[in-house]
Amino acid sequence: MSAPLPAVSAVLRAYPRRWRERYLAEMRALLADREPGWGDLLDLARGALDARLHRLVATPAVLVAAMPRKEFIMPTPARPSYGVVASPPIGELSRRSFMRRMLGVGAGILALEFLGGTIAFLWPQFRSGLGAKFPIGTLPDIVAKQATFANGWPYAYAPARAFLINVPAAKELALGREASVPNPTADQLLALYRKCPHLGCQVPGLCDELKRFTCLCHGSTYNILGEKLFEGPASRGMDRFAVSIGDDGVVVIDTGQFTAGSLNRGPAALSFVDAAPYERKCR
Amino acid sequence: MGKDGPGGDLGRFAEPALLILVSLADGPKHGYAIMTDVDSFGATAIGPGTLYGALARLERRGLIEPLGPEDRRRPYRLTGAGSSALGDHLGEMSRLVQVGHARLRAANG
Repeated sequence: MSAPLPAVSAVLRAYPRRWRERYLAEMRALLADREPGWGDLLDLARGALDARLHRLVATPAVLVAAMPRKEFIMPTPARPSYGVVASPPIGELSRRSFMRRMLGVGAGILALEFLGGTIAFLWPQFRSGLGAKFPIGTLPDIVAKQATFANGWPYAYAPARAFLINVPAAKELALGREASVPNPTADQLLALYRKCPHLGCQVPGLCDELKRFTCLCHGSTYNILGEKLFEGPASRGMDRFAVSIGDDGVVVIDTGQFTAGSLNRGPAALSFVDAAPYERKCR
Repeated sequence: MGKDGPGGDLGRFAEPALLILVSLADGPKHGYAIMTDVDSFGATAIGPGTLYGALARLERRGLIEPLGPEDRRRPYRLTGAGSSALGDHLGEMSRLVQVGHARLRAANG
């Protein structure tokens, strides 16, 4: 069975250019005599691969030297002539090389933009956003802004997306008692990250009725220290940032130091039990 | 087969190369004539790709040379180096044949 002609031509095109210049005409003559079959086609394909892997064609100089002069006729493929092409004056760019150069410059600029964008993307954010340190003022400043902070009500600090909790006063508040602790120490302060650990909604402020936090999205409920209670799908308590008080008395929330909320579940796992029943959530 | 034999350095084309040299031993032939000739005496047929792979190698090593084209076909002929290389190699082979037959006879004898 003979192989289709287009397939044969395609395989012959797979030979390297120098090979084709030297051998193509005679190979075509041979194939015209033989009616190549599929086996021949495969053999030609292997030959093409071989010719590409090895430099098989002797250089013309060698060829010429090795041959009787008169008989040597190198088949030269006919090439269309476009006449004499005017070259640009010395020192001036031709249109073509100008376009090539501009293409290169454009590609270079594009590459630089990608590089710059990548570096900017990877550059850590030190000054703002999650990961930064937020000085939120001295305790008297905070109490001046929100007097109820001394009575245990959380102080919401928006830039850090955090609640600052005055722990001893907050516990009294959640137990239904009145207290005033205007000067808690650093280890009596707690910064709760307001992002609900369930799906990331912002946790709203304490509700008046239960003194608990209930996320508006799916109802996950936390006590005033951010510990997860019965209601809602969240798998852990609210996450916490490190809080410190500097020598100048300024309270600093370090959002780069992050403690995930406790995974422990159930009433027995709570460090603090407030006045409301475990199962209740804010309405 | 030594490095200097007609098959030396010819890799997969060693046997086709030998067949081509033998085919060209009685005069110049073009590609198709070599193929049909090899078909008539060789144990294995060679395809067109194999044939030209071997021809190119032999030409590069100066064992054969192309002549001017007749019609579109180009005949090739053995060079002096090609014919002496073929002679050497055939001598080597015939010694091998003699030894092999002798040993077979002795073993079966």
